[in-house]
Amino acid sequence: MSWSWIPQNWSLIWQLTWENAKLGVLSALYGLIISLPLGIIAARWRWFYPPTLTVVSVVYAVPSLALWIALIPAFGLTDTTVIIGLTAFSLCVILPNVVAGLRAVPAPVTQAATAMGYGPTRRLVTVELPLAAPVIIGGLRVGVVSSISLASLGQLIGVSSLSYLFIDGLQRSFPTEIIVGLVAVIVLAVLCDLVLVVVRRLLTPWQPRRQVALAQWPGLQRAGLQRSGLRRRAA
Amino acid sequence: MITFEAVTKRYPDGTVAVDALDLEVPAGKTVVLVGPSGCGKTTTLRMTNRLVEPTEGRITIDGKDIREQNPARLRRGIGYVIQQTGLFPHRTVEDNIATVPVLNGWRRQKARDRARELLATVGLDPALARRYPYQLSGGQQQRVGVARALAADPPVLLMDEPFSAVDPVVRASLQEELLALQHDLQKTILFVTHDIEEAIKVGDLVALFRPHGKIAQFDTPERLLGDPVDDYVAGFVGFDRGIRRLSFFRSQGLSLSTGPLLSADATVAKAQAAGEPWILVTDGGKPRGWIPADSLAARKSDTPLSQLDAEPFGHSFTVGTDSLRAALDAAVLSPAGQAVGVDGNGQAVGVATFDQLRAAIQAAERAADADADGSDNSKKRAAQPGVQRAQSGAQP
Repeated sequence: MSWSWIPQNWSLIWQLTWENAKLGVLSALYGLIISLPLGIIAARWRWFYPPTLTVVSVVYAVPSLALWIALIPAFGLTDTTVIIGLTAFSLCVILPNVVAGLRAVPAPVTQAATAMGYGPTRRLVTVELPLAAPVIIGGLRVGVVSSISLASLGQLIGVSSLSYLFIDGLQRSFPTEIIVGLVAVIVLAVLCDLVLVVVRRLLTPWQPRRQVALAQWPGLQRAGLQRSGLRRRAA
Repeated sequence: MITFEAVTKRYPDGTVAVDALDLEVPAGKTVVLVGPSGCGKTTTLRMTNRLVEPTEGRITIDGKDIREQNPARLRRGIGYVIQQTGLFPHRTVEDNIATVPVLNGWRRQKARDRARELLATVGLDPALARRYPYQLSGGQQQRVGVARALAADPPVLLMDEPFSAVDPVVRASLQEELLALQHDLQKTILFVTHDIEEAIKVGDLVALFRPHGKIAQFDTPERLLGDPVDDYVAGFVGFDRGIRRLSFFRSQGLSLSTGPLLSADATVAKAQAAGEPWILVTDGGKPRGWIPADSLAARKSDTPLSQLDAEPFGHSFTVGTDSLRAALDAAVLSPAGQAVGVDGNGQAVGVATFDQLRAAIQAAERAADADADGSDNSKKRAAQPGVQRAQSGAQP
């Protein structure tokens, strides 16, 4: 491990991390934007869900590199190619959570909303989606982490990302570079995950809190402690 | 007023949930639909705000056919309370209550002010306004549900087993408060329950359903208990309906004896002179306990009664306001077999024996029968608006 290499190449590491973050986060966000309408349709018309899920799962089974290569003729060796591929993959984790979240809204709540005089659209936007938010964000977290991890392979088709450090380090037999790349990917994924945990907490002040005793320590520490519990609920 | 005219609900698989139902819910009255599960009572309720559409027949509210109104608009004019509360978990108590006013286009602040007013109306601390539903007890959630249903001041309320999920003590207090609210607000209420006790307690009129959506009897609670039309009704109402019916007879017609009443400073000699088998010792006018006459002989004749052990009298009944059921219960629980009657201030005014209770019960029943015969034949009577629970002022 050659520690001095790190400060010397700080701007390179920073730039690759930023590129990698952009690819991963954008892909997951696009995945969410596509999953929401699909999930809403699937939650309302049950027959729509099984075939959709089959298509999404088949796409997910395609190796990422193969999918990118298939996209290159249309979009070239660009960010767009990587993002389209990763968006397609993220659907497989985000869409089921959108559907599960909407289906988990308690029937008495939707019934009460209808009986109170909500139309279907208003009910969806102001009651059902907010109540599905914790489960949807649970899916988004998995989507972001896996997209960031997969995006690091973008270098294979010449798109700048943290895998540059793996490839370069391997070619030069320089383990420090490989380790730095690995750590950067992990730190990036964990940070993005934590941001989503905080977002979820801000969006859902109405959820029962388990760690009430930690209330005097708002923020990251509490969010971090909650993660294991959330995983179990999202699964 | 809500009117059902020959309303039938048949599902595609052929199940008939409600069968040619005719029912009238008079304005300002509480009509309770009661029956076994699957009898169509909830379906009937849900047809009223178009959560379920009838297959045949017509439902009108104040003469207007509900099918001619936009469902969302119709529903905003009908309060709805359900067993599972259906509160919005993601909204604070005040925003839950403000739901319909906000849907009706009120400014949020005005709607929240209204919500805080309603918290007090349903007996909740306005400090709960900013809590979320998960932070409330079951009873509190149910009160918020009632407040939410009342928020836009709808003339009609639908209540689907609203108090079934809370414990019996909370349920009893919620029922009492509903009666008090209804006394002030005079809403037209359709109330569904499977609990005949609850039906009899909260209903001005009770519609008892048979399985498959037919009404077996539609009557006042008192007549349902006193004059069930057939074995099905009698069986559903329960074997102790005779006792329960006494809840509808006030105790002011009961004659009381004052002979056994003696104050604590009276002497044993005086107690013996009373010639009663049991002496009720009073202290400053309030009942203290019973002393059996045969325990007096062993004491010196100038001993004050306060030095003797008195047996607890169980509970007393308030003469005039409590029912004959309360008086009878007081007599059953009393070691002397006599019910202690008190006035509004808790001062003992007299005691009643089983013989005196029997006379009062018979007089009250005669009066109730005369009342029923005088007003129309028994079953049609119930369908008329303005039928009150019999306030039996039976005089011997």
